[in-house]
Formats: sequence, structure tokens, C-alpha cells
Amino acid sequence: MKKITFLVLGLIIVIIILVFVFSSFYILDQTQTAVVLRFGQIVKINEQAGLSFKTPFVDNVEKFEKRVMIYDISPVRVITADKKTIVVDTYSLWKISDPKLFIETMRTVNMALSRIDDVVYSHARDIIAKYDFEEILSKKRFEILDSILEKTKADLKIFGIDVVDVRIKRNDLPEENRNSVYNRMNSERYSIATQIRAEGEGQAQQIKAEADKQVKIILSDAERESKIIKGTADASSIKIYADAFSESPEFFELRKLTEIYQNSFKDSILVIPQDSDILKYFKEVK
Amino acid sequence: MADYEVFNADQKDPETPKKKKSFGIKSIVLILIIVFVGILLLTGVYQVGPSEVALVRTFGQYSYTQGSGIAFHLPYPIQSHEIIDIRSIQKIEIGFRTTSTGSSRDVVDESNMITGDENILSLEAVVQYRIIDPVKYAFNILNAKDLVKLSTESVLRERVSLSTIDDVLTSKRDVIGIETSKIVQENLDKYESGIKIENVYLQDVTPPKDVVASFDDVNNAKQDKEKMINDAQKYSNDVIPKAKGNAEKVLREAEGYAYEKIALAEGDAEQFRAVLKEYNLSKDITKKRIILDAIKDMIESAKIKVVSDSGNTLKLLNLDEMFGGDSK
Repeated sequence: MKKITFLVLGLIIVIIILVFVFSSFYILDQTQTAVVLRFGQIVKINEQAGLSFKTPFVDNVEKFEKRVMIYDISPVRVITADKKTIVVDTYSLWKISDPKLFIETMRTVNMALSRIDDVVYSHARDIIAKYDFEEILSKKRFEILDSILEKTKADLKIFGIDVVDVRIKRNDLPEENRNSVYNRMNSERYSIATQIRAEGEGQAQQIKAEADKQVKIILSDAERESKIIKGTADASSIKIYADAFSESPEFFELRKLTEIYQNSFKDSILVIPQDSDILKYFKEVK
Repeated sequence: MADYEVFNADQKDPETPKKKKSFGIKSIVLILIIVFVGILLLTGVYQVGPSEVALVRTFGQYSYTQGSGIAFHLPYPIQSHEIIDIRSIQKIEIGFRTTSTGSSRDVVDESNMITGDENILSLEAVVQYRIIDPVKYAFNILNAKDLVKLSTESVLRERVSLSTIDDVLTSKRDVIGIETSKIVQENLDKYESGIKIENVYLQDVTPPKDVVASFDDVNNAKQDKEKMINDAQKYSNDVIPKAKGNAEKVLREAEGYAYEKIALAEGDAEQFRAVLKEYNLSKDITKKRIILDAIKDMIESAKIKVVSDSGNTLKLLNLDEMFGGDSK
């Protein structure tokens, strides 16, 4: 029984010692900074990772992220200098640069985020309002981002926050404006399409007209050539006939006239007077 | 307690079970301690996969990097480890998500981007990256993976807003991917993220659904144009060779005509000369014969022959009757 008592006692002592040891030390991760508070007052900022000592039961340790954090800021509507509403979706990279200041002014990360929200939004709104929409889409964008970053940085420094970067993730037209853009895009495209078709038709006409012209040239060239050939032949034939017939115009005339007699009276009514030479023997027989 | 001590002076009988009992508790405690220590030691055993490394921390502070294999570190809470994959290429999808079934779903808010000429297009991309410096990766940025996505989205939009819609859809498409990956890398290096961007691939770059029809119409118009030109070309290829054929035909005909004409003329001329030669030999009789032959043919070939009294009596003939009464 005595042994059990010793055992129990020993166990209690060990537990007390362990609790004491555990509450005198704390482990600080490489990614964190510790703020040691004594009755709510900051007594020490510890950035050295590893095992550290604190006064047990009296000191309270709060740990904060030391790394750069990403904060995706919710999209906001802002108005540009040319009175267009755009939706700007930003994100920022930030870190706690001064844990003492941070804990004094912000207390929690959530508080800090809502503050970042407010500051980025107000600067984004003010700065974007100085530019036209077209400029926001141009290289001026970098200028805009730089000045938002610079102002945000300056504003948040007093809270122990270092804003590493502010970037625009999206800058879009709000839903209701998109349709008008789509309409414009549609009409633009249809007009391009019409132009392309007209060009096609034009070029096709040109090719066809050129072909028709070639056809005419080819055919009329041939026609001319053929007329020359025929004409030359006609001329030669006239000469051949003339050469031959001029050897005896009298015989030519005879042949031609008799030919007419032979061929021209076919199926006609022929009236022969009684006193014609062809009937000179007619009466003698009678 | 005193009671026990009194009894303790006595011997054996109570002693034995008591000893046994204390031995039992001791052993249980011992076993518990062994199990506890064992479990504690087991928290120090870990395995690192072939593409991974483990960052070992001693009381939270980074101590060393452990390569792949089975390894051991001091038990919790003295040492701990964090496993980071440094060789696998990981990917992030922008503008769409591949679902577990393998099909993909569009994320319109991400994919819709506005171009420098104030048009909207839909762009889907995949970023591939790898952790090249696990220490930087673990200790510099919280959730550095998210940064890859945000940064790529931001830079992609920036690039698109500096280009025109036609450029993005056609010639600048590849350039945008390359530029984006370069600029994102610069940003990530600036933040010392320990991440290397392997690639930014632009997947589908298309006009938004609401304007697809009109964009398609432009493509159709291009096809139509090609077709019209081809048809015209076809027409041209059809009519010109035919015309050339026709031209040849006309020419050959003319040549044929010319040959025939001259041949006929020459034939006629020779015939004339031949006959003339004979004619000259007996002029009078031949002349008469020719004339009479002609008259004979003439009379023979006439349909109606009339012998009139004199040249003036012809008027008395009833021509109407002769021709069947319809010539008047």
C-alpha cells in the first residue's frame, strides 16, 4: 500500500514537473513569430525559431505567420474616367512586418484582411477613376498597379503590415455591359464576313471576265486569220479564172450564156414566137 | 498506513499475494511506459517517396533535408517533418476544371478575358510547375501554390489586354503563353517562392459563346470566298481551252476553204483552156453546136412550152387558168 502511495505521489510530482516544464517552454516554428504577452502586455517579440523559454503561468504566447500571405480580395465595381463601370478583382501579397505594431493595432489576421480590403479598394477606386478604360487595358496598367501598391503600402505600414504586391487578377465589364460588347463584336464580325464574301465575289467576277475576254481574243484572232486566209484564196481564184478566161473572152461569154440557157429555164413557161429562128423549119414542114 | 505496517511484521501468507499484486501493477506500468515510448519513437519514423524530400525541423527550426527512403528523426515534439514533392510536375487549370469523370467544365468567370480592343474572348490555359527549392517553398510564402494560379491569371489577362482579339486568336497565341510563363516566373522569383514554371499552355482560345456564330460566319465567309474564286477559276479553265479548240477549228476550216477554192479555180481554168483549144480548131460549127445544145436543154427543161403567133399575142393567154387560179 505504501508503495502505491509513493507511486501515485511520484506520478503527481512528475505530472506537475512536466506541466511546469511544458508551460515554461514553447516551440516556435520557422514560419512564425511569437509575441510574448504578460497579462496582456507585450514583453517580448521572438523571431528565433526553436525551443524558447517563458515564465510559466504568467506569460501567454501568441504566434503569427511570418511568411508572405496571399489574400484574394473580393471583386469590386469601380468607375473609370470615361464613366465605364468595371469589375476589378485584385489580390495582394502581404506579410506581418512588425508583429508588435500588428498585435497592438490589428490583434487578428481577420481584422488585418478587412483592413487590406478597405485600403486596396479605396485606392483602386481613386486611381482607376483617373484613367480611361482603354488606358487600363494598355501599358498604363502597370503605372496604375504601381501607384495602388505604393499608396496601399504606405497606408498599411502603420499597422505593422508590409504589402509586397497588389495585382489585378481580373478587370472585366459587369454582366449587364457584356451584352453590348457581344452585340458590337457580332456586328463587327458580320460586317467582316460580308466584306470577305464581297471580295470573293469581286475576285471571281474578275477572273471570269478575264476568261471571257481571253475567249473573245482567241476566237476573234482566229476569225481574222480565217478571213485573211479565205480572202487570199478568193483573190487567187479570181486571178486564176481571169487569166484563163481572158485568153478568149468571146468563148467565155458563149459558155456562160449557154450555161444560163441550160440551167435557168427549169420548170418555167417558155413562150417561143413562131418567127423565132429555132422554128425556122416549122412552117416549111407544114 | 499504520495498519499495513503492523501486518507487515507478519510473514509469508499475506506477503505472497501482495508481492504478486505489486508485480502486476509494475508490469502494467512498465508495459504502458514501453508502449508509450514505442509510440513516441514511432512518430519519428517516416517514409519519403521517390519524388519527394522531407524537411526536418528541430523544435520548429529547420535542420536538414532528407532524401527519399525510410528515415528516422527524434520523436515528437522534438523533431517533425514536412514532405514536399519536388519532381512531379503539377498542373493548375485556368478557365476550366477537369472533373473526376474526365470531362471538363468551363469556369466562365476565369476564362472570359477582355482584349486591348475591348472585345471579350474565352481563354483556357494550363500552368505546369514544379517545386525546385523546397526550403524557399516552405518558408517564404504561405500556400505558394495558390500564388501560381493567381499570378498566372493576372499575367494572362495582362497579356491579353495588351493585344487585339485577332492577334490572340491567331498569331500571338503562342507568344502569349511563352510571355506569360516568363513573367510569372519573374514574379515568383521576386517573392522567392522556390517554384519553377515549366509551361503555360493555352488550350482553347475561342470567342465567347454569345458571339461564336458570328465568328464562325467569318470563317464560313472565307470558305465561301475560296469557293467563289475556285469556281471562277474552274470556269476560266473550262472556257479558254474550248475557245482555243474553236479557234483551231475556224482556222482549219478557212484553210480547207482556201485550198478548195483555188483547186476549183485551177481545175475550171484548165478545163476552159482545154475546151478553148478544141473550139479554136473549128470555131463556127462548134459555136453553133454549143448554142443549139443549150437551146435544146433549155426547151427540154421548161415545164410548159408555148408557141405564140407573134411577140405581142402573149397578153391574150389566160395565165390564171394555167396556174390553177390562185396567182391573182
